[in-house]
Amino acid sequence: MSLKAQLKKDFSTLTLALMAVAIVLNIVLGQVVSLLKLPIFLDSIGTVLVALLAGPWAGALTGLLTNLIWGLISDPVAAAFAPVALVIGLVAGLCAKARLFRQWWQAIISGAIITVALSIIAIPVRVYMFGGVTGSGADFLVAYLLATGRDLFSAVLITVITNNLIDKVATALLAWAIVKGLPKRFTARFSRASAVTG
Amino acid sequence: MAAIEVQNFSYIYPGESEAALRNIHFEVEAGQLFAILGANGAGKSTLCLALAGLIPHLFHGEMNGNVTVLGMNTLKYGPSELAGKVGLVLQNPANQLSGMRYTVYEEVAFGLENLGVPSIQMPERIKKALSWVGLSELGDRSPYALSGGQQQRLALASVLALEPQVLILDEPTAMLDPKGSQEIFEIIHKLTQMGKTVIIAEHRLEWVACHADRMLVLKEGEAILQGKPAQVMTLPLLKEIGIGWLRYTEAAYLGKKRNLWLEDMPLPVTLEQAVVGFLRV
Amino acid sequence: MVSHFGIFLPGCSRLHRLHPLTKLTFTLAAVIIVFGGPGKWFSALVPGLIALAILASAGLARIGLRITLRILVPLALMLLFVHGLFSPVNQNFILQLAIFKVGREGVLYAVLVILRLTAALFSSLVLVLSTHPAHLVQALEEAGLSPRFAYLFGSPLLLIPQLSGRIQSIRAAQQARGLEIQGNLLRRVKALFPLVAPLAFSALVDVEERALALEVRGFSAPHTKTYLNALQDSSWQRLLRWGMLALAVGLLAKRFVWA
Repeated sequence: MSLKAQLKKDFSTLTLALMAVAIVLNIVLGQVVSLLKLPIFLDSIGTVLVALLAGPWAGALTGLLTNLIWGLISDPVAAAFAPVALVIGLVAGLCAKARLFRQWWQAIISGAIITVALSIIAIPVRVYMFGGVTGSGADFLVAYLLATGRDLFSAVLITVITNNLIDKVATALLAWAIVKGLPKRFTARFSRASAVTG
Repeated sequence: MAAIEVQNFSYIYPGESEAALRNIHFEVEAGQLFAILGANGAGKSTLCLALAGLIPHLFHGEMNGNVTVLGMNTLKYGPSELAGKVGLVLQNPANQLSGMRYTVYEEVAFGLENLGVPSIQMPERIKKALSWVGLSELGDRSPYALSGGQQQRLALASVLALEPQVLILDEPTAMLDPKGSQEIFEIIHKLTQMGKTVIIAEHRLEWVACHADRMLVLKEGEAILQGKPAQVMTLPLLKEIGIGWLRYTEAAYLGKKRNLWLEDMPLPVTLEQAVVGFLRV
Repeated sequence: MVSHFGIFLPGCSRLHRLHPLTKLTFTLAAVIIVFGGPGKWFSALVPGLIALAILASAGLARIGLRITLRILVPLALMLLFVHGLFSPVNQNFILQLAIFKVGREGVLYAVLVILRLTAALFSSLVLVLSTHPAHLVQALEEAGLSPRFAYLFGSPLLLIPQLSGRIQSIRAAQQARGLEIQGNLLRRVKALFPLVAPLAFSALVDVEERALALEVRGFSAPHTKTYLNALQDSSWQRLLRWGMLALAVGLLAKRFVWA
């Protein structure tokens, strides 16, 4: 199928409605997590859901827009990480395409792959724009790593990966479970969902 | 020519093996109020979507037969072409809000903007639509600060602003309280008096019995009954498929056995008919 | 909880009445200059001061400062802590705190980052505090952005409170069924799916109906879109936008190409 036709198929009105809802899920599910006081954010779960149902481009756009919108309405800092969110959606969609989201253990592997991919973008943004710091407790790890003689770049690398690994694996697993649990009638409407539901 | 012609229409949703609708065949004359009855899952919503052209354009699946609305065959004309001629109102009021507009007034403008209506014409059309549904005073309110009934009326106004000749309503009162439902029914009645063709899929039989010109009863995807309310709603078949009779009909039927209802009087489907009938005895 | 409008504050200042694209261009140009301009301290200070002056002219300086403090104070403290005490480039030490030594280079670096972030934040607030999100979306559409993508930008804003409210009712319902949300880690992890899944399912099920409602109102119609209220623009603003972009690109070039 030509690129234009594929894009048109991927961005049908149904996909757009899905993406709008997913953006909201990204923003709102963080509340559940803080309720449970777990060390994860779940702020990309909508992005991964869209990637699984509608493909990497839709997933990427969902991530990008989530951060831009959050930057517009609450915290402009989030806008700086919009490229990171884009990569999450893109890679999740590519993993699904590569048949890496069919079983639960594959979802875990995909979560790890997503973590590595997002770090490639997140680390430079962190280091060059924010001096390697997030304003949260994770920075103590950066401080410790610097104290043990590492340079800023590798200190941030280790921190970003450890911070995100659990969250992205949990996100990937949850998204997988949700897609598996959706009624067949719903997933049949999305051309890419068959890569996950089989 | 009839406003709506459905000829041997069948449809299977993508990925399913059972047809959602089989060999549906009926006509609706312009200006009529046509009701679609059926238990849950019988195919009412599917039929509504087909009449609005959303099937087959948005739901690919397998379609056979023809659905022609206002002379346009839905195989050729989709929702984009039908938008100013056919309106559709769904069950859930909140889902019909565009989510893009911060006031009721602007929400009604959404469809007008999409269809390229010149901006000088917009204020008048919006005011008209809001007055038809009784929301004229709430023009500045946020659509999300409305009650369910008000939101449904807003959904209706948004569609009416496009001045369709045919209006399809898929269980519009399913999620509303009695007051909200009553408001919707009153507006629909007004619309039929204005000459619009209205198709309504409904569970609340009382209103439909009073106001529908003709009705269609669906069972598991097939049309099993067609005709006027007085004919259709007194048939025992309705009870077998889970829709049931109205209490007036039931009362008169039981009354017949005890000589409280004249043998040759047709069974009533409205309160008035029941009263007249019982008084005769 | 975030309201529908986010941090936008309605007003009648000159800034409020500027075309959204002009403000957006200012933000982008300013951020580019702050992070990519020549002369580290100069590029960090000047756009930030200009942005602050603009905010002040619109009566938004106080709220702008409050928001900036809320976001930046944790970052600033951490920057000073991490770089002051542990930066690998620390050579000259200016202070002794218990067992830690505060290094001059680290502190200077931290201060530079803080200044840059402050300037960038002020610049974005020029846009965000004075522009209604719906107007920004309309401006992008008028400039050629497809209405389909404008929908993606515009509709989540109003949907957020809707879904947020559902979380509370789902939580109440699940707790009534015996779901435990406190306790050891395992129990809390187990509560994750029963809280997240119903929200996701109910939100996703609505997606289909939303798409239908959009279609029925001509969302995909090929007509050229018209607007109920047109946005005010002017030729000097258009000139200004190009000018700001040219300045930003020029300064970028000065730093990287002609260094």
